Amino acid sequence: MGRIPLSYLLNRLFTLFLTVFIAATLIWIIPRLSPVNPVDVMLGRMASGGGSVENSGAILAQLTERFGLNDPWYVQFWLYIKNTLTFDFGISTASFPTPVASMIAAALPWTLGLMIVSLIITFIIGNLLGALMVWEHTPRLWKVAIPAAMVFTSIPPILSGLLLMYIFSSQLGWFPLNGAYGLNTEPGWSLDFAGSVLYHGFLPAMSIVVVTFGFWALGMRGLMITVQGEDYTILAKAKGLRKRYILYRYMIRNAILPQITAFALKIGMLVAGQVLVERIFAYNGMGKLLYDAILDQDFPVIQGVSFVIILMTAVAVFLVDLIYPFIDPRIRHGA
Amino acid sequence: MSVLDIKNIHIDFPTSKGVVHAVTDVTLSIEKGRRIGFIGESGSGKTTTALAAMRMLANPGFVAGGEVHLNSLDGDTNVLHLDDEQMRRVRLRKISYIPQGAMNSLNPVMRVDAQIWDAVVAHEGGLSQADLQARSDTALDGVGLDPKVVGRLFPHELSGGMKQRVCIAIGTCLTPDLIIADEPTSALDVITQRHVMQTLREMQEKIGAGLILIGHDMGLMAQSVDDIAVLKKGVLVEFGPVRKIIEDAEHPYTRELIASVPLVGGDSFLSAQASPPKGERLDKPLLELDGVSKQYGAVTALHPMSFALDGEEPKIISIVGQSGSGKSTMGSLMLGFNDPSAGQVRFKGDDINAMSAGAKLAFRKQVQAVFQDPYACFNPFYRVNHALKFPYENFGMGGDVQTAMEEACTAVGLDPSLVLGRYPHQLSGGQRQRLIVARALMLSPKLLIADEPVSMVDASLRATILANIHDLKDKHGISIIYITHDLATAYHVSDYVMVLYHGHVVEAGPPKEVIGDPQHAYTRLLIDSIPWPDLDRDWGDADDARAALDELARIGGTPETVYRGDIPGFTLGQG
Repeated sequence: MGRIPLSYLLNRLFTLFLTVFIAATLIWIIPRLSPVNPVDVMLGRMASGGGSVENSGAILAQLTERFGLNDPWYVQFWLYIKNTLTFDFGISTASFPTPVASMIAAALPWTLGLMIVSLIITFIIGNLLGALMVWEHTPRLWKVAIPAAMVFTSIPPILSGLLLMYIFSSQLGWFPLNGAYGLNTEPGWSLDFAGSVLYHGFLPAMSIVVVTFGFWALGMRGLMITVQGEDYTILAKAKGLRKRYILYRYMIRNAILPQITAFALKIGMLVAGQVLVERIFAYNGMGKLLYDAILDQDFPVIQGVSFVIILMTAVAVFLVDLIYPFIDPRIRHGA
Repeated sequence: MSVLDIKNIHIDFPTSKGVVHAVTDVTLSIEKGRRIGFIGESGSGKTTTALAAMRMLANPGFVAGGEVHLNSLDGDTNVLHLDDEQMRRVRLRKISYIPQGAMNSLNPVMRVDAQIWDAVVAHEGGLSQADLQARSDTALDGVGLDPKVVGRLFPHELSGGMKQRVCIAIGTCLTPDLIIADEPTSALDVITQRHVMQTLREMQEKIGAGLILIGHDMGLMAQSVDDIAVLKKGVLVEFGPVRKIIEDAEHPYTRELIASVPLVGGDSFLSAQASPPKGERLDKPLLELDGVSKQYGAVTALHPMSFALDGEEPKIISIVGQSGSGKSTMGSLMLGFNDPSAGQVRFKGDDINAMSAGAKLAFRKQVQAVFQDPYACFNPFYRVNHALKFPYENFGMGGDVQTAMEEACTAVGLDPSLVLGRYPHQLSGGQRQRLIVARALMLSPKLLIADEPVSMVDASLRATILANIHDLKDKHGISIIYITHDLATAYHVSDYVMVLYHGHVVEAGPPKEVIGDPQHAYTRLLIDSIPWPDLDRDWGDADDARAALDELARIGGTPETVYRGDIPGFTLGQG
């Protein structure tokens, strides 16, 4: 415990950088294995608008030149790495000429807001319910109700989303059907806007919480059963400690440790994992951006979004590595 | 005046196969300031009876009848009538508990002093930080730990003996009327055991509490308690002052328990044998260590050592020492599980770490192992036949597997019809450990490496299992390396003993000399620390135990090996 040693920090930072570099390289290689030529696709899209494109050969050559596709691979790769590391992901081929970075910048806050809030809610509810499934003082009704609620976990999020939409939007009219904020609300730092965002975010967040809390609850249940049988829990009871204190400080405090690692890994998966939820709620986040980009074969956007996902996972793991020794004294930095 | 009166208590455990009567009609009184030992095998109900007084029975057990009176309570003294909150306030303040698992009984994420504070706060309410600090300092000081250092540490930074002393500090910090200590030293080596036990006695005498000491070691009981209660299958079969029980027990079961403790110099539990069959004559030693040492980072687990064992006449070589002495490291080096940092381990002249895959397979067949934990050695998803059959077929032994399994079971004293075809969890620890020996026997090995083979089975079974292992030498001509911390059993089974301390051999020779008449200070200390089931043999007091630890610290450095004689067919090299 104590301060983080510099050598450890540098070591972890190097690993972080290496992970991101290798991932970025893979992102660059994989689309190039695809037989589809993005310039052809762009041209095809223009053609579908006007029937035919004049001078298509010249345009094709010009665009190929413009995107740098005539350069040797190492020049392309070097430019790609240099740009990627400065968050310049190029220009979208589907929404030409919008820069990819600005598209991601517009979508990212929505996803982070929705997903991180729902992940935190799920994490708290799931782990608490999992702990209560094991605790000997949990009221009997709860012990029956919690496993029954696990039924929701087996529903795919897309269905739970539709179900929630049907009940709360369509039938009861309590929540809006889609969008991230009201059409007649001006985006900005106002109470009005914040309220609208929460109002619109509630159903998508709920649809994620309902289907994912079981993941945490079942994991926590297993961990709690182990902790319940540990000698320190038995000694805690023999010490005459209050039962809630034992639950929080002795049982949950020890059982939660592996769950925190899982939490960090989930942060990176947030963006990728809930593509369909954003899709059905027409919520303009990263998931929807990625979904549309795949349909349009918009390589720069796919590359940009993938890179952001990898970066988030790597950074989350890096942070957990740094804070873990502070939450579990048995783990030491650099050990 | 009695502190606790247990009257006609019955404890039942409902299971899917009907109700198990874990404790039947036990009546006992515990006097203030007196120490009572509850002794019996596992499953005898000794822990269950004691925990009933704290109302901490494991699920689904419950008290089916009887009364438990804690006489310091106001009004109704029956603890079975208290509500949950009243019961909580009795725990630790009136009755405290010192658990068995010294390794794991403290919360791993809390500092030691915080684990004393939460106990104090739970019973006395909010105290200032300075008051709490003073309380934990006093408590740790009382058990001989430096509060300034130990209080700020986390449990994983303490040794087993220190952890158990922290548990004693917690158990005595509110000066309870009664302390229940559940095998508090079962995971500790003899030297630490003596220190912890003496600390517990010292604290118990200081606060004048009654003490229930739960255990299965008659020697430890003889040296620690005033009265002994013998339990068998939930029934109190005998109760009386310790001297009466040890010297003149009435119940045959009690006499059996006392007789099952192997003593240094006592009668052997092994049946006398004709000369063992000769092994094959080899040009090269069966097993040879040539300047072998092992280092883990900066720590030297084993200093360079050499010995040669010829397999012509089978022998049992014992390696004894405390935990951390390097004895298990030696075992894993000899099995080739670990590479030595220097030197060579040779089997029939071949370096076992430089063998071809085929030679390695032959080596594995000829060198078998028995480990400490009979629970962890079986795959719980397979019937035990699998563990016996698989290596037999894998090594292409030929012959009928079923016959071989039955013969091997019979050889270790098991009835094949009762154990074969069962799952590991359906068998007792003793049965499992004997099956492990049977499994090794089926491969007709030349050498068996047994690392603490009996430390986890009941005392009454140890002698039987060791006799089985001894039979491997006498009847099957197998040489055995017996790794143990138990000097008394090493005294009886071995032909040659090496005492290991901090990776050095400090004394070596035939057991009658080394253990019967130790010369090295460390060996003497080990022998002195053994609790004897003999009241005329004094175990010393807390100061003696501390002096012993100081002496241990002085021994350090590079101790000289004391050679106490040779036996034919085994040579211990210098360095």
